[in-house]
Amino acid sequence: MAKISVRDLKKTYAVGEVEVEALRGVSLEIEDGEFVAVIGPSGSGKSTLMHILGCLDRPTSGRYLLGEKDVSEISPDERASLRSRQIGFVFQSFNLLPRTPAVENVELPLLYNGGKLSRSQRRSRALEMLASLGLSDRALHHPNQLSGGQQQRVAIARALINSPGLLLADEPTGNLDSQTSREIMELFRRLNQERGLTLVIITHERNIAECASRIVELRDGTVESDGPVGAS
Amino acid sequence: MSLEIALSGLKRYRLRTALSLFGLAIGVGCVLVTVGIGNGAHRSIQNQIRAAGLNVILVKAGNYKTKGDETIEVQAPHARLAPIFDGLDGLDRVFSALTPAVLAHPENDPMEKHDHPTAADRLGDAEAGLGAAATLTQEDADAIAKLPGVADVASGVHENAKVFAGERRWFTRLHGTDVDLPRIRRAHVVSMGRFFSERELRRAEQVVVLGSIVRDKLFASDADPVGDEVTLWNQSFRVVGVTASANWMTPGAVGDDEFDAVYVPFTTIHRLLNVTNLNTITVTAESTGEVSKVAAAVTDLLRARHRIADTAPDDFTVVTQASEVLTKGLHPNVARVLAGNLPNLERVTLEELSMTLERSSRTMMALLVSIALVSLLVGGVGIGNVMLLSVTERTREIGVRLSVGARARDVGAQFFLEALLLGAVGGVAGVLLGILASRLVSESFGWTTSLSPGVVVVSYGIAIAIGLVAGFFPARRAARLDPIEALRYE
Repeated sequence: MAKISVRDLKKTYAVGEVEVEALRGVSLEIEDGEFVAVIGPSGSGKSTLMHILGCLDRPTSGRYLLGEKDVSEISPDERASLRSRQIGFVFQSFNLLPRTPAVENVELPLLYNGGKLSRSQRRSRALEMLASLGLSDRALHHPNQLSGGQQQRVAIARALINSPGLLLADEPTGNLDSQTSREIMELFRRLNQERGLTLVIITHERNIAECASRIVELRDGTVESDGPVGAS
Repeated sequence: MSLEIALSGLKRYRLRTALSLFGLAIGVGCVLVTVGIGNGAHRSIQNQIRAAGLNVILVKAGNYKTKGDETIEVQAPHARLAPIFDGLDGLDRVFSALTPAVLAHPENDPMEKHDHPTAADRLGDAEAGLGAAATLTQEDADAIAKLPGVADVASGVHENAKVFAGERRWFTRLHGTDVDLPRIRRAHVVSMGRFFSERELRRAEQVVVLGSIVRDKLFASDADPVGDEVTLWNQSFRVVGVTASANWMTPGAVGDDEFDAVYVPFTTIHRLLNVTNLNTITVTAESTGEVSKVAAAVTDLLRARHRIADTAPDDFTVVTQASEVLTKGLHPNVARVLAGNLPNLERVTLEELSMTLERSSRTMMALLVSIALVSLLVGGVGIGNVMLLSVTERTREIGVRLSVGARARDVGAQFFLEALLLGAVGGVAGVLLGILASRLVSESFGWTTSLSPGVVVVSYGIAIAIGLVAGFFPARRAARLDPIEALRYE
């Protein structure tokens, strides 16, 4: 059963008077537990694809099945609920809340998942999550007191706190040096292998993409190539 | 949950939160202080009107116009509002009729040397002879108390007496009166001890309340004589209280009949002097506007009770406090003319006076409140501005919240609640600040301030309303943000 199935996905933006076609018919199947890298030059539509896959945006046309649910036509609130329970995001610029301790950043998704966790339950779950990523001693540090790699790991902890099935990462290593980048990619690989997390990583660096098991290459809003690592 | 999120948002920007709170608190506090000062001024004006006795009606035994000379023109009850020329007509006769009575007053004994004001000094010659006739009784007082529009009634027996305390003595005014007197004389305050009680009145006990001037003369300034004994007519009286002026603008003075005086139960005087009549009955009307009506009703009642024929003159005199104040110390003939025309004068002048005072205090109030509202508005605009800026500045935060599963309404609720919390907490701080500042103002400047619970509730409501308005637009803006745009925002 396909975890993600998109058919003929199209997205058109109106930039002023001009219509920009970001996606011109993308079809893609991503199985449960796959580690996929989406690469392509800027303007190829990979960010737009990720926004639609992450239910932050809706396609102009085409169909998107997440699990068995058609999510291409659902309401904004239903999309928010999907983002809360099934999808985790990791961003290039980490996007941690400033002036907020790491542990509170990790707790943030728990405030919106509709669950009835008490304050102390939320705190202990966030601390556990940070510990599993080796950040126990950084729990009370504010983002500006953490290194880039540490910030990205806090962001990953935040993305994982609601135990989503799908993790989407938009240029997760774009702001990191190569050593830290390798560590983060290693972390992703472990999460994929140990927890069976479906991972979709967007990058424009081929060596980062090669950490994944499958590479989808976009160009001008269409899939140019799609295959396991090493095949192309 | 939303509350928690809003609180953490406020906590994150501590300085900004503190400044917004401060702005709003100052605004609310300002409103409270100015309304408090305005109210206080308004109330003290009203108190002064009331203390001046505009609602007091005094019934005195006897009617000097008839005393000793029955031939002078009698005023029929319907001619009570005599035009001025009627009054001038009988001038000489009235004057000659009065002179012996005044001289005959025991206080004016030429052999007696005294260092105190005489009754004539106190009351004016015109009234020195009044109250001597034995025509008023306690039953009259009880009947007056049942009239509609009457608030309080106090019987009065008035004498002049020497009061002794040890070696010291003071010749002063002795008022035998009722327990209701403190309610009638709003300008009085029992500064030490208490006024005598219903029980002491009923049992005609020998208790006395000293006017502050008498206290000063017999004891010492600021001495507390409560519990001490003074001697009156060779009888020992226990001091139970001291009465003083309630208003610093009108302190007691020697010879003023109010604070240079002692107060005892009228029943005690009745018992000691073996008499039953009253010299005066003091009546208050429930409202200032009804004084003339009540005075007329009192006159009609007493005429009926005393079985006075329609053509016969009153055997008592009804004056309003205002007429007494106006005629005090005047030549009796002028006084009579004035008093005769006072009901008209009173209606016009007193109503106008109180209306003018009312109007000017309202104007002042409006001015103060509008200044205060402007400052509150500034505080409110400040909060609105901060919240709007906050939405812009925290666009990325909003994007992050949306990406981790917040719905648009969660984000809206957060910003709305943040503003509302600022309003609620700032309002509380403002109320406290306002109450504190009002107290400070009244203590350091001696101004009367008055804050009613209603004013506090309203200004707190305004603070909340500011929070609601200042929160609504930023919240709507935050809720309408597109998640992708918000995440990309630099």
